[in-house]
Amino acid sequence: MALAGLLATAIVAFIVVVLFMSWFSNPPFGWGNAPAQPIPFPHTVHAGPVEEGGHAIQCEFCHRNVTTGAAATVPAVEVCVICHKQVNGANAKADVAEPETLINIQRVLDKHADGRPIDWERVHRMPDHVRFVHEAHLRFLTQGEERTVTLPIGDEEPMQLPVPVQEACSVCHGDVASMTEVQPQDGQSLKMGTCLDCHRENDVSTDCTVCHK
Amino acid sequence: MKLTRRNFLAWAGIAATGAIACDVFDDELKVQSPALIPEDLVSGRDTWYATYDASVPGGQGLLVRVMEGRAKKVRGNPRFPTNQGKQSPAADAILQSLYHPDRIAGPMLRTGPRGSGQYRPITWEEALNRFNAAVNERGQGMALITGTRCAGYATICKAFADAFGGSHLRYDAMDDAAYRAAVNKVTGVGRVPYHDIANAEALVSFGSDFLSTWGNPTAYGVAYGKFRSKGHRGRHYHFGARYSMTAANADKWVPIAPGSEGYAAMALAWGVAESHPESPWVQAVTGEEGPGALRDFMPDLTASILQIPDAVLDGESPNEFFKHLAHDYAAHGGLVIGGGGEAGAYSNGPFNASASLLLNYVLGNVGHEGGMLPDPGSPIASAPDNAAITTLTDWQRIAGDIASGATGLVVIHNADPVYGLPNGVGLGNALENESVAVISASPFMDETTVMADLLIPDRTALEDWGDDAPEPAPGHRVYGVQQPVVNPLADLDPRSFPDVLLSSAADLGRGDTMPAASYEELIRANVDELGADFTDALKNGGWWDDRMVGAASTPSSGLLDEIAGMAAPPQMEGTGNFQLLPFAHNTILDGRNAHLPWAQNAPDPLTTVAWQTWVEINEKQGREELGLREGDVVEISTSAGSIQALVYLNPGAPPNIAAVPMGGGRRAGSEYATGRDERESGNVMSILAVSANDSGGLTWSGNRCTITPTGDSMAVSKMEGGYTSREIGEHPAEQVFKTVSEGGH
Amino acid sequence: MPNASYEHKWGMVVDLDKCTGCQGCVIACQAENNIPINTKDYFLQRRAYEWIRIERYWEGEYPNVKARFMPVLCQHCENAPCEPVCPVYATYHNEEGLNVQVYNRCVGTRYCINNCPYQVRMFNYWHPNWPARLENQLNPDVTVRSRGITEKCTFCVQRIRRGELKVESQGGQRLNDDTIAAGNYDPACVQACPTNALMFGDLSEDRQPSPSAIKPYFDDVNAHPGHGEHDRETRGYRLLEEMNTRPSVIYLKKVDPYPLKGGH
Repeated sequence: MALAGLLATAIVAFIVVVLFMSWFSNPPFGWGNAPAQPIPFPHTVHAGPVEEGGHAIQCEFCHRNVTTGAAATVPAVEVCVICHKQVNGANAKADVAEPETLINIQRVLDKHADGRPIDWERVHRMPDHVRFVHEAHLRFLTQGEERTVTLPIGDEEPMQLPVPVQEACSVCHGDVASMTEVQPQDGQSLKMGTCLDCHRENDVSTDCTVCHK
Repeated sequence: MKLTRRNFLAWAGIAATGAIACDVFDDELKVQSPALIPEDLVSGRDTWYATYDASVPGGQGLLVRVMEGRAKKVRGNPRFPTNQGKQSPAADAILQSLYHPDRIAGPMLRTGPRGSGQYRPITWEEALNRFNAAVNERGQGMALITGTRCAGYATICKAFADAFGGSHLRYDAMDDAAYRAAVNKVTGVGRVPYHDIANAEALVSFGSDFLSTWGNPTAYGVAYGKFRSKGHRGRHYHFGARYSMTAANADKWVPIAPGSEGYAAMALAWGVAESHPESPWVQAVTGEEGPGALRDFMPDLTASILQIPDAVLDGESPNEFFKHLAHDYAAHGGLVIGGGGEAGAYSNGPFNASASLLLNYVLGNVGHEGGMLPDPGSPIASAPDNAAITTLTDWQRIAGDIASGATGLVVIHNADPVYGLPNGVGLGNALENESVAVISASPFMDETTVMADLLIPDRTALEDWGDDAPEPAPGHRVYGVQQPVVNPLADLDPRSFPDVLLSSAADLGRGDTMPAASYEELIRANVDELGADFTDALKNGGWWDDRMVGAASTPSSGLLDEIAGMAAPPQMEGTGNFQLLPFAHNTILDGRNAHLPWAQNAPDPLTTVAWQTWVEINEKQGREELGLREGDVVEISTSAGSIQALVYLNPGAPPNIAAVPMGGGRRAGSEYATGRDERESGNVMSILAVSANDSGGLTWSGNRCTITPTGDSMAVSKMEGGYTSREIGEHPAEQVFKTVSEGGH
Repeated sequence: MPNASYEHKWGMVVDLDKCTGCQGCVIACQAENNIPINTKDYFLQRRAYEWIRIERYWEGEYPNVKARFMPVLCQHCENAPCEPVCPVYATYHNEEGLNVQVYNRCVGTRYCINNCPYQVRMFNYWHPNWPARLENQLNPDVTVRSRGITEKCTFCVQRIRRGELKVESQGGQRLNDDTIAAGNYDPACVQACPTNALMFGDLSEDRQPSPSAIKPYFDDVNAHPGHGEHDRETRGYRLLEEMNTRPSVIYLKKVDPYPLKGGH
């Protein structure tokens, strides 16, 4: 009896672990979805609306490859310095900024001065065998004739296309401009099902080779 | 531990028993933003840069795909006039040179005995100080040994050697000295001619393996494809002693005795003169005497030299055979290629080469479309002439000078003469003279570099500036420009050798005698001199004329007599039943690519062998007379030494011919080059007799050898038999590989 | 991207009269597709693999001897024997005529390998090991396959995809022979082949007015079944035609003006 019980426990445990690991192979239950970055980067301040204290910088100003290439690309430190050589605490507004913020800005400037890269923690991970091209998806969302689509992602409300780039990004990434720490939006797990649902809905090929390399 | 899909189940099993360790994807969790944004560092975006590679035969214009600062793929540059968008497998493999695990990291100073390979790292400052001191103290009589690259590179090397009273030596294992000498004699130009195969009506080749390693095999391959695509499909005859790739691709291969290529060419010339005595071309060559001038070369008379098998003559007399062939060729304006490579490497090599070149004049096929195009001259007139490639006789003298200490300093770059020259030259032994300083600039360890006291790591082709005047050039002048397509690998800190020379000369107060302050500057100056824009030259991978330069198409009077006077059957070195025919490996070439895994793992086209050194022996003779089986280890002995190799029984190899690829038997350097034992990897160059023909070139084809089984045998690593689409269905070859006797589309 | 408005049907023509056996395609493929180094041991174990290989056949013997070179790659059969035997649907035929191998689905039964008459499916017997630093060369467009799965020629689908995206983003033109060659969207072997013995193109029916240069060969072969081969106007034939696998690769017969005596 004891043996059978042990066996049953082992089998159940095995199945649970298999399900657990396969289903949540993206860090489970949202753990680690918003990892601490080496230098805090509040999207609220950079991309948030002006009326809320943000600077409404367009997504593609920093992620400058997003409309033309496969990867959105994290900007080079050089791009940070375009603004931060002015916005560095030495100017009039310095007193409004938190001392901690100024330290962080200085860290960015130091990296640039030393020619060292910043190692950001990755938030959205794409497995090695998947090819995702931002350009093609943004082209779908931001160009073409006017049409209404329901995208099986995010709030799943009918959507009027084309939309500006900012809105197009938020379809998959959520309202990043309101996040101090970026995390994948709810219900969006970068699993293959999400891709397939959307491709089917919009009559795009679901051939394996379209996404898998 | 990285969790992959495969070991996932294993992990899950372990996890179920309670030990879950899930530190997965660690390396994927970072995304780096670079400090700066060079255009080729954008993730996911590729940039293609035009550059040039001089390490493959003939040189090739390339495009390199660079992604995130790393070179990913090499392809031929479609604009480049020789290789026209195509590349050889060896060119593809240069990527592995760049990212090779065995590159020399930083400057090194020898700590162990010479040749031990024991070094300690030093700083560049110390290395350059030592280099300067060596040049300053011992520069008089210095031997600066480099590869054959010409144009600006040779200008700098020569200027450096001259500035300090040394000499500049250019090493080429496949030295085509006899062919170069013949070209000079027949066409009056120091650089080798191009053969317009693409527009030829018919083709006949003598000895040279132009589809694999001779001339510019990729350019000739492109042309050969066009030659074969024409509505009227021209025919290709190949005369040669070895069943080479070119012989295998010819419509008909005529096996001839080793070293009789010149007689075959003269026999064909006789046939052309006999069947077309009225031809102005024939008359221009034969002069007043008419076809009779060639009567000594009547094939019936030279049959014992040519030794064409009866089965090939097919019932005809040699005279009839060559007359028929001549009729076809003269009628169709046939193009003749060859005389160099293995054909030139006999005691009578200059005759073989001259006769092959002369035949084009007899056929009236010089200086126009579909013919032989004499070289219009180097685009960089001020650069040293390409004909000045150091020959065997010079190497013997230099080895003597080093041994005696008359040469106090040897500087080596991009050359490996210790490996490639026969042991009998004694260069390796000479370099053991401790009173001579040896400095090598190389990205890799090799047989010559291992003798160096000081190693200064060189950049590979994709990291460095470079230039060259490729030859053969396609009937017009071509200047190839190589630009760095990626940053030099920072952890290795390699430096460009020409720049080291230039800075050294400046440090030693001889900067004014050097052509420029940096190699890049010299390339800019050269491009300027050509009247071209530097940016355009970089975009195009070089500069070239768009027009053919008019070339002489009549031979000088008395040329026939002169060539006929050179005629002599080849004298072979040593004794033995077999003729030893070394040949350049299809991808490893003369051994320079032996460290590249891709070059090693590319099967040889004919035998499909990879990684090992084999000897091709006629299947019937090997099996029936010698009792050999494939993989038997045999001792190949010449008058100068012996190596071992594995037998490959080749149904196409002529009896009494032992063909052995170059490039094996490395004993110093990368694991990929050296990691086989001596039974399966031998250096055929090392056992060649030290003997030169009139051009001074090594007679590397002219050795007799014996083949002695050792009783040992090894498995042959080859592709053949591993997968064949015919075996699985038990289909005979002709049901898989189909042929027709006349071409449609 | 396969788009509702454009259908592609990819195909290749191999001209045996032009192949010189130089191995240019083999190394270009190895470089493009992250194929591991075939070590000496792999060769000795008969496990060396190449997605495209040059088969060499001997005919006759010295002095009347012919070495025949034939590039063999996945034939992308329309009636592929490998597809129905896969228990996990890891291999299937897509709308573009490609025989696709889905690495993630493959569990390594090797049924497909056994059922392929051309022996062009390769099994990963080892972990894909790259010596340190050489991995910098790996093509990011192609997955590095793990141990225990089957792989094979893809017609360099990653290049086709790049090409499709490029032309789509530039106004929706469709890929044709010229744009494929100009954009380096040809398979790596086709791009490298010095003699142009390999030709690649789109065979779809609606390609007027500029059909691919390879289409006539397919039309000719399709018009005459295997047993009517002698009626064909071109040199085209399919490899092991009698097996009715209907490959998307057509071979053109070698022209041999001097066939061996007693041959065929």
